[in-house]
Amino acid sequence: MVKQVPDSQEVVIDPVTMNLNRSLTRNVTNRADENALEAALQIKDRTDAHVTVVSMGPPQAETTMIECLARGADRAILASDRFFGGADTYPTGLTLAATIKAIGKFDIIFAGEETSDSSTGHVGPGVAEFLGIDQITYASKVEYKDGFVTAERELEDGTEVVKVPTPVLVTVLLNSNVPRRQTLRRKIDAIRQGFESWDHDKVGLQPEWVGVRGSPTIVRKMRPIKEKERAAKKVDIAGIPDLVKELYQKGVIKVESD
Amino acid sequence: MEIEEKLALLNYKTDPEYEHITINPKICETCPDHFCTFACPAKCYTLIEGRINFKYEDCVECGTCDVACAHGSVMWTNPKDGHGIKYKFG
Amino acid sequence: MSEFDVIVVGAGPAGSSAAIKMASQGLKVLLVERGDPVGSKNVSGGILWGNDLAAIIPDWEKSAPLERYVERKVTSFLTGDSEIAIDFKTKKFQEKKTGYSVLRTRLDSFLARKAAQAGAMVVTGVTVDSLAMKDGRVIGVVNEGETITADCVILAEGPNPRVAMAAGLVGKPNDRTVGIGVKHVYKLGENVINERFNLRGNAGFAGEYVLSFLEGDVYAGGFLYTNKDTVSMGVVINMATLRKNGNTHSFDIMEKFAQHPFISSLVEGGQLQEYSAHFVYEGGYEDMPRAYGNGYMLVGDTAGFSFSNGMILQGMNYAISSGILAGEAAIEARKDNDFSAESLSRYQKKLDNSPAVLDKKNFQGISNVVWSPMVHRAIPALLESSLYSMLYESGKPKKHLSQIMMKSLKSSGMNSKDLMVQGYRLMRRM
Repeated sequence: MVKQVPDSQEVVIDPVTMNLNRSLTRNVTNRADENALEAALQIKDRTDAHVTVVSMGPPQAETTMIECLARGADRAILASDRFFGGADTYPTGLTLAATIKAIGKFDIIFAGEETSDSSTGHVGPGVAEFLGIDQITYASKVEYKDGFVTAERELEDGTEVVKVPTPVLVTVLLNSNVPRRQTLRRKIDAIRQGFESWDHDKVGLQPEWVGVRGSPTIVRKMRPIKEKERAAKKVDIAGIPDLVKELYQKGVIKVESD
Repeated sequence: MEIEEKLALLNYKTDPEYEHITINPKICETCPDHFCTFACPAKCYTLIEGRINFKYEDCVECGTCDVACAHGSVMWTNPKDGHGIKYKFG
Repeated sequence: MSEFDVIVVGAGPAGSSAAIKMASQGLKVLLVERGDPVGSKNVSGGILWGNDLAAIIPDWEKSAPLERYVERKVTSFLTGDSEIAIDFKTKKFQEKKTGYSVLRTRLDSFLARKAAQAGAMVVTGVTVDSLAMKDGRVIGVVNEGETITADCVILAEGPNPRVAMAAGLVGKPNDRTVGIGVKHVYKLGENVINERFNLRGNAGFAGEYVLSFLEGDVYAGGFLYTNKDTVSMGVVINMATLRKNGNTHSFDIMEKFAQHPFISSLVEGGQLQEYSAHFVYEGGYEDMPRAYGNGYMLVGDTAGFSFSNGMILQGMNYAISSGILAGEAAIEARKDNDFSAESLSRYQKKLDNSPAVLDKKNFQGISNVVWSPMVHRAIPALLESSLYSMLYESGKPKKHLSQIMMKSLKSSGMNSKDLMVQGYRLMRRM
């Protein structure tokens, strides 16, 4: 499961309206989802797995679908319908789960740990719940053997290794691997192959269950948080001692004594 | 405004696997001018304790260093797979 | 059988123009761009001169993402304390547009979209590693060890053509053929720009500057162009004098230009949005590579098509026109089913009669003049001291202009014969 998101390095808040200024923001594939795809492709490298990419989003998510095919996915399906618009994480999970169900049999579902535009981390676990399958969250390493997935989970106080029988959903940590490159050959083939666009009918959901109508979240009020004054600064290795001194003097960092 | 602050405005998609420009430290050791440190508009080349330090992560792919280095130390290629600088205006 | 008729490497104005032309005539075209999205690697000062796009996009003045049309053109000498400028404004540019300021991320993605609409396959985010060769001819491109075949490859890589260089089709750039371009984009807002530059509607300001205040005999030119709600400001630094100086940072020259009192006031209150750099092609007619060969053609900056005579900096217009001509040549070669060097020499013939080559030819040696001590030091010093002496009311009896100029000339370190000779050369070359 992947999502196209605004490039987090380019998100600009309009200082007057306090809205997200999307006019200059370009869309990219959510970075953790690239790691999820890579984790799936690594299993494909060692087995005869078939990798299908599933996403929900507007038609411009096409570039993400083609990119995933060009990195090595076998099939790409974009759940795209105006009824899906305005969804919170609940109908998003429902829509993706229904899409996956409609595709048929599967062993492992991979998702990024969270998306950079909303950072809830709800959708992956939500899909597992809708499908009634087990889930492994925040995995850094995923192996598959004889019907079992073994994954390392990065926790605050260490690493946990879990072994779960398939079918299972795994959410993959950001930067836990290096996504393979798209190649010209694969990208040409991806464009020729194309992706599938599924509407609510094909996914098998009623319009009132999805999108804004299917979203239990009601945004009552949005309040801008007064931004602290921030300054960007890049320093060389040689400049680190001065920077630490400056941060200390400004009270940003403190010296802790035992 | 300092160059470091200007570079901090930029959007890079850094390739963790491929350094598209590399230098030959042996050649740099004997370099009499270190013109790269003056020519590079992104301050990727700095002289630290007599040694050239090169950061490909800050590179804006302008091509200057390849011409600036008259001693054949710079191996210049384009980043791969859409990595590197991503200008918003251009 | 090749997979494509033509592969175009690089989706800048040259590559996309070639792709639009060819795809609209039914050729099977692959346009490969390493930036993702298109345009994200590209920088230019920012004025698109001329009307070349009309040949492939008839309504380009309405549909293309143009910022402002040039109504006011300033050519200026900046000394430490003074600015001496020719400020040319004309209603004629209002009726017949001569140039538009553009931002490349927007223009280039527009052109690539047009290429896709015309039927070209557009691939972004993939870097071509090299040309595929067989029996002395180009048969396609290589990426990650895999060859994609085509009857012809058009190289539109810009001024730093790594694929063409690796194949030995163009020479390695050097101090004489490139300058270092550095640029700032400021957000100022539409109304502020209109007020500050005395503009209305989508009229725009284009300024070019000789930075004669730089210490240590480093030569650089500056530019300042208005966009819709932003301002593009930048410098082009002469590589040879920067090297000779050996003690000045390119990024400091940009900052010094931005800090000049008569420049900084123009962007006061503006927020720096972007810092960018790219080297600028400055080679002359004699540096131009042969633009065609067995199975390939070179277009735009890769073929050496950019031009500056001190009054005007051009590149994108030649990129577009050379791209269209290469496209025409490919269409004709497809009809003849012959992409040999002999067949593609028709591209060179088309070029030879076009402004892209003729401007280069007719202004041979101009860069020696543009980057001369006379332009960068003597003339501005002479103008500054003469104007100052004429205009400063000292309370003493006034002198004749000729007396003032002779005195200023003496202090500028040139003699009148030098000035006459070099001045004549400048006029002739321009």
